[in-house]
Amino acid sequence: MSYLEMKNVTVKFPGVIALNNFSFDVKLGELHVLLGENGAGKSTLVKVLSGINTPVSGEIKIGDRTFHSLSPRESRENKIAVIYQELSVIDSLSIAENMFSGRLPTRKVLGVPVIDQEYMNCEAEKYLQQIGVHRKPSTLVSELSISEKQEVEIAKALSAQAKIVIMDEPTSSLSIDETENLFRIIRKLKEQNIAIIYISHKLQEIKQIGDRVTVMKDGKYVKTVNVADIETRDLVPLMIGREVKNSYLNENTADFSGQPAIFEVRNLTRKDGSCNNISFQVHTGEILGFSGLIGAGRSECMEGIFGARPISSGEVFLRGKKLRIRNPYDAMKKGIAFVTENRRETGFFPNFQIWKEIAVSTSLKRSTAGGFSGLVQEDRERKTAGEYVKRLNIKCTGPDQMTYTLSGGNQQKVIVSKWLAADSDVMIFDEPTKGIDVGAKSEIYAIMRNLADEGKAILMVSSELPELLSICDRIIVFRDGSISGEFLNKDATEEKLMMAAVDA
Amino acid sequence: MSKQKFEIFWDKYGTLCILLVLFVGFTVGAPKYFPRPNNVIQIILQSTVYILLAFGEFFAILLAGIDLSVGSVACFAGIIVAELSLLNIPAPICVLAGLLAAALLGFCNGLIVDALDIHPFIVTLGTNTIFRGVSLVITGGNPVFNLPGWVKKMSSNVGFLPIPVILVIACTLLLYFFTKKTVAGRNLYALGGNKQAAWYSGINTNNYTVVAHILSSLFAGLGGIVMLSRIGAAEPTAGDGYETFAIAACVIGGESMFGGKGKITGAVLGGIIIGMITNGLTIMKVSSFWQKIVMGALIIGSVALEKVISNQANKQSK
Repeated sequence: MSYLEMKNVTVKFPGVIALNNFSFDVKLGELHVLLGENGAGKSTLVKVLSGINTPVSGEIKIGDRTFHSLSPRESRENKIAVIYQELSVIDSLSIAENMFSGRLPTRKVLGVPVIDQEYMNCEAEKYLQQIGVHRKPSTLVSELSISEKQEVEIAKALSAQAKIVIMDEPTSSLSIDETENLFRIIRKLKEQNIAIIYISHKLQEIKQIGDRVTVMKDGKYVKTVNVADIETRDLVPLMIGREVKNSYLNENTADFSGQPAIFEVRNLTRKDGSCNNISFQVHTGEILGFSGLIGAGRSECMEGIFGARPISSGEVFLRGKKLRIRNPYDAMKKGIAFVTENRRETGFFPNFQIWKEIAVSTSLKRSTAGGFSGLVQEDRERKTAGEYVKRLNIKCTGPDQMTYTLSGGNQQKVIVSKWLAADSDVMIFDEPTKGIDVGAKSEIYAIMRNLADEGKAILMVSSELPELLSICDRIIVFRDGSISGEFLNKDATEEKLMMAAVDA
Repeated sequence: MSKQKFEIFWDKYGTLCILLVLFVGFTVGAPKYFPRPNNVIQIILQSTVYILLAFGEFFAILLAGIDLSVGSVACFAGIIVAELSLLNIPAPICVLAGLLAAALLGFCNGLIVDALDIHPFIVTLGTNTIFRGVSLVITGGNPVFNLPGWVKKMSSNVGFLPIPVILVIACTLLLYFFTKKTVAGRNLYALGGNKQAAWYSGINTNNYTVVAHILSSLFAGLGGIVMLSRIGAAEPTAGDGYETFAIAACVIGGESMFGGKGKITGAVLGGIIIGMITNGLTIMKVSSFWQKIVMGALIIGSVALEKVISNQANKQSK
């Protein structure tokens, strides 16, 4: 018996039909995975259920009540809780205050209502215990890790007696251990007869915790299947409507150790000690991967190379020539590019159109006087942007579209274009496919391979082992700020990489 | 009109609409005096100081910051020029020294903001008082007057246009070109839009922050020299509270307080609106005490106007 049922729901935005006659249902105690490329309509669906988007037609049945649309309030009253990818906890409040924000329990002191801290903390404790979180409810949220903040959101949903919990890519910022812990909590929620709608791009997770999968494409319903009845690789063609090339295949990788080194890092140590004495070479034609747990010092090392954070010692060579890098401006001038991990925070400009975004580094590179001189060349920049839109297959209405309105994968392609346009020799990719759908992922892999073939040095940091194994020719593993292993693709396996990454 | 379409329209012509509404309003209020050509030129002349100060403020706000010290920087520049002019130093050198002094104050602001990573609100709140104090110390609290003739001449007419108006037109063209066509100008927008992304794109965010504050004070100083010339004497209390007008001009001109969004032409129109409100209220014989109240309300009202119309448009299109 389904608890939540959506029938023929359609949501329109100017120029787009975000959800097209979409139907699906969720049972209590079930984990229902929503699968689809970016822009398939998953977020819109979540927003319909949380009361942000209003459908133009269709109906939503929750229990025995029927709605044409939900307001945020109705969504809450019907026990729907959403845990967004960008967590919405408030750092300056305690765990308990976060859990009860908007409905703080009060007691009267001399007739004046005041917050009943004791009762609130006691209640919070109860729900934290339920999901196995051992933190005091009075702890400030700012002291928590990302995964703990997520647990607070789950406890908050529990304390609101949620019947339907929606999770939007909950594992995208979690390490392997943290992911395991989240799955343990999710199983507990299922035992408590809570319906879970789960959005993820990680196909292997579906087998681990999913019950049913609904695939969507272009806002339309494609298919619902029982997880037990399908192999994960069979889901991919459903999502993208075509076979994915090169995905999780390493047929293109090779051993380049005989080739000359283009790029070399010697004894790099950061001032804050997050990475120590790192040395490696990148050979012509090679894609070099960096594996390790989150916080092992991979991104920190890349930031050091790029001059974004201070280093205490270390040298960087490009084609045998020593580079002097004090800040990202120097690095950019010398031909180093850095595609950062967090697109929203460090990747793009929310006030720029695609063409301006792409032109930023090019115009800086042309300019002198510390990046202050020079004129913009609007016509040429628009033309260049147009070429990259075509070359990297950026899905947009044209170079005049604002970057922030694009889907994650296309934003990433714009950022890659920015560095390609600046004619960089060394491309550092930090988690380049985070939050990107399968189709765009394989496109990004193809771009990286082409760049390596053109003779650029390619460095890729990734936390997804299958990804590293499928496209890197060689993989270096970090542990606690140092290199703990190095493997040629043909010798590497997920087990070996994992063993090198953890203290074993 | 849908909400989206209205927002695009308002983005382009909103400030102009506010200007027209106020112009019609004051014309109805004082039909005999307000719309006369003489008065219109007077309004524009009065606005030049506001516009120049708004130009400075524009760059501080563009980086999602603010500059509360423009009023005292303007005063300081005026005093430097006045004091030097009394020593019979040639006019161009006096003016140049005044501008340099202003730029130096901006450099201080920028350096403190950047090196100590303190929000510009706090920094300029402090330096505003410091700069004012320095002006009072230099002058001993007394106005500097009996200045040579060239000081007043700087705001005389060339043809039918007053020199300050020509100056503002020249600055507008220059800054329009700077913000639209130069790499440095665009990098300031990038920095205002996302400081982190700017840093990771290779923009030297430290230097740009300092430069934005130097520009801010430079234009404030220019405004201060125009102010000096129009009054003919340097008062150590001149420009007190003018940061309100500068900020208001930018915001009415459509600049975003969150940074990265704004147009130079908006700051010009915003400055004229401030000048028009002052002029209009005086002509309508509103007392200067009441002027403050009305001015404040009009500042909020002109920005609120967008929200009100936009919400209405949204309701009707539903």
